[in-house]
Amino acid sequence: MIPSLARPHPALAYLRARRRRPATWSDRYTRVFGLLVAAAVLGRPVAEAIAGLARHADPARLGAGLALVAAAYAGLLVLARALGPVVLPAADASWLVTSPLPRRAVLGRTALLLLSAAVLAGAALGLTALSVFGAPDRLGVRLAAALLLGVAAGVGGMAAAVLGQQSPASDARLQVLIAGALSVAVLAAVLGAGPGRRILAAVAGAPASMGAAVAGVASLAAALLVRRAWAALPRIPAHRILAASTRTARVTSAATTLDPGTLTWVMEDAHWRGRALRSRPWPRLVSRSGPAPALAWQEWLRVGRRPGRLAALLGAAALPAVCADATGGASGPVAGMLLCGALTAAAMCTGGVRREGGDPALARMLAVGGRAVTAARAGLPALLAASWAALALAALQAVGALPAGAWWLFGPAVAPALAAGALRMARRRPIDHSMPVIDTPGGAVPTGPLVWAATGPDLALLGSLPTLAAIASPPVSVAPYLAAQAAAGAAVLTAYILRSARRAPH
Amino acid sequence: MPNAIITARRVAVDLGGVPVLRDVDLTAVPGEIVAVMGENGAGKSTLLRCLAGLQPSPCGEIDVLGGPPADLPGFWREVALAGDEPAWYPGLSVREHLELMGAVRQDARLTAGEALATFELGARADLAPLSLSTGQRQRLSLAMALLRSSRLLLLDEPERGLDAAFRRRLAGILRGYAAEGGAVVMATHDARLAQEAGARVVTLRAAS
Repeated sequence: MIPSLARPHPALAYLRARRRRPATWSDRYTRVFGLLVAAAVLGRPVAEAIAGLARHADPARLGAGLALVAAAYAGLLVLARALGPVVLPAADASWLVTSPLPRRAVLGRTALLLLSAAVLAGAALGLTALSVFGAPDRLGVRLAAALLLGVAAGVGGMAAAVLGQQSPASDARLQVLIAGALSVAVLAAVLGAGPGRRILAAVAGAPASMGAAVAGVASLAAALLVRRAWAALPRIPAHRILAASTRTARVTSAATTLDPGTLTWVMEDAHWRGRALRSRPWPRLVSRSGPAPALAWQEWLRVGRRPGRLAALLGAAALPAVCADATGGASGPVAGMLLCGALTAAAMCTGGVRREGGDPALARMLAVGGRAVTAARAGLPALLAASWAALALAALQAVGALPAGAWWLFGPAVAPALAAGALRMARRRPIDHSMPVIDTPGGAVPTGPLVWAATGPDLALLGSLPTLAAIASPPVSVAPYLAAQAAAGAAVLTAYILRSARRAPH
Repeated sequence: MPNAIITARRVAVDLGGVPVLRDVDLTAVPGEIVAVMGENGAGKSTLLRCLAGLQPSPCGEIDVLGGPPADLPGFWREVALAGDEPAWYPGLSVREHLELMGAVRQDARLTAGEALATFELGARADLAPLSLSTGQRQRLSLAMALLRSSRLLLLDEPERGLDAAFRRRLAGILRGYAAEGGAVVMATHDARLAQEAGARVVTLRAAS
């Protein structure tokens, strides 16, 4: 008879039995060989990069660098919160979470994966922070402290996200943490170039032992949070795990089938499902103006319902300036960020068009279409793109990345082209995987995803060329470029509206 | 028939070489309700798609409101189709979906408030449609189709998800629509709904 202490818990035995087959010698050999090859390939560049950290920080770039690190940390927390973070494969979520099996045994593997992801992300953040602040002395100690601090931040943040999944009160604290990280990013970006530069330089020049002490305290705090999260694991309500697992399964499915449009759809549904809304009638002025403004009004309503997202979007207009500060004013990344940001702002208010592109049933029921509808629907995207681009250009000018001149006027001038690009993006079909694959010296290139990705940005890029040219080589007078931009923007939007005249109502 | 809203003759559809519809005739005149019935796979939904101009290259003659059906706004201004659940607009409540329809179609038959009352959705007016049950979403879909004015209503299994009491109510709503001069063609498995709506029944047999 087997002593009861030697027998595994039946639940654990069940879970072990249904996991993957045990690793064979061949599996282990492949893993070890892979690690050796990775070490051989990456060892030298990594060692060189670490040795390159032994330098004094550049005070001019400290603020922008810290802003990017803080924004990345906030992004990590937002992602963890959006995904769950405690999720299971859809089948496991349906069958195991609602079963009498001990919850911690069911979720243990997920917890281990989350811990690994948090350690890796935290280590990357720590290294990035060290590359910003530099290591004027005692590289080993500073490197260890940065890694420890990064890992503590990553693991602590993930534990806070797990706690947030367990209770609304903890979720509120997690949101405060995210807001704090974003505030640090904004403050570092705004003050880093001016009054905050001295403080940041003092932080960069602080003794290595102080960094080690801070890392030690952070590790203790992270350990405490991990302990609380581990204790909370069995108490996470089943419905939250089920909802997060379903959402993550749909996102994963969309990512693996290369259908990024579905991701937006999933996130929108996840946001609005279960919310009670304060219904508002359509304003009389809008209703009386005809079907096209009445249809377009829904986007205004939707944007007004997410003021936080709108504020975050407008706050992100500082990013090109931060990027210019961090890269020493390189025009390529700045122009790219300006175009992407303004296009994102325009695309943020095309949710209705996107729905109709995916499923035209409602559009058929409404029975409106044509030029008037397209023109009405371009209004809000153009307004948001104009505001975002004008703010971003003003910020670029404020940090000295652009010379004197009315640069902000490029915002309204480029906006019509960006609105046309955003509407084209919203109407594009799913990726056509039957399109040919082109063999190139760099490998096979599937044209389906390429065509999909270029649909929309192509119009935006075409219509923004005068602005991009002006940023690439700032002219003495912006007036000719402004005139060219206004003409290009208007021409692209007009052509797009004219082409939409005789299409089906979607 | 000179005043017919729908005249379809010898309609045939093959899907992947398999015949789905074979020589189907159908007419509908103003004020008439036609219930298309038949076993699963008999081609009821395919016939509705043909009438809505959504089925690529069907054979035969299909005339809807004086011309071939076309998936264009001008056609949909006269025809309302309620089939599978539509993709609801994100961030709009049940009431706002109905308000939107009323604002876009200024010749609406009902106000949003009347539609909410008729389709028993008043208690759920401020929820997003995705928060409703299957039957309530079906009611919203039907409310959207019936709030607006049209001359032809195409319904694919309108009874889907509805409780018995609301099916009876739906029969009355459809009779009211037909009494205003509209024609209804619905694919259904519910013989009682067809009977209570006073529908002329057309039974399809599987083509293969």
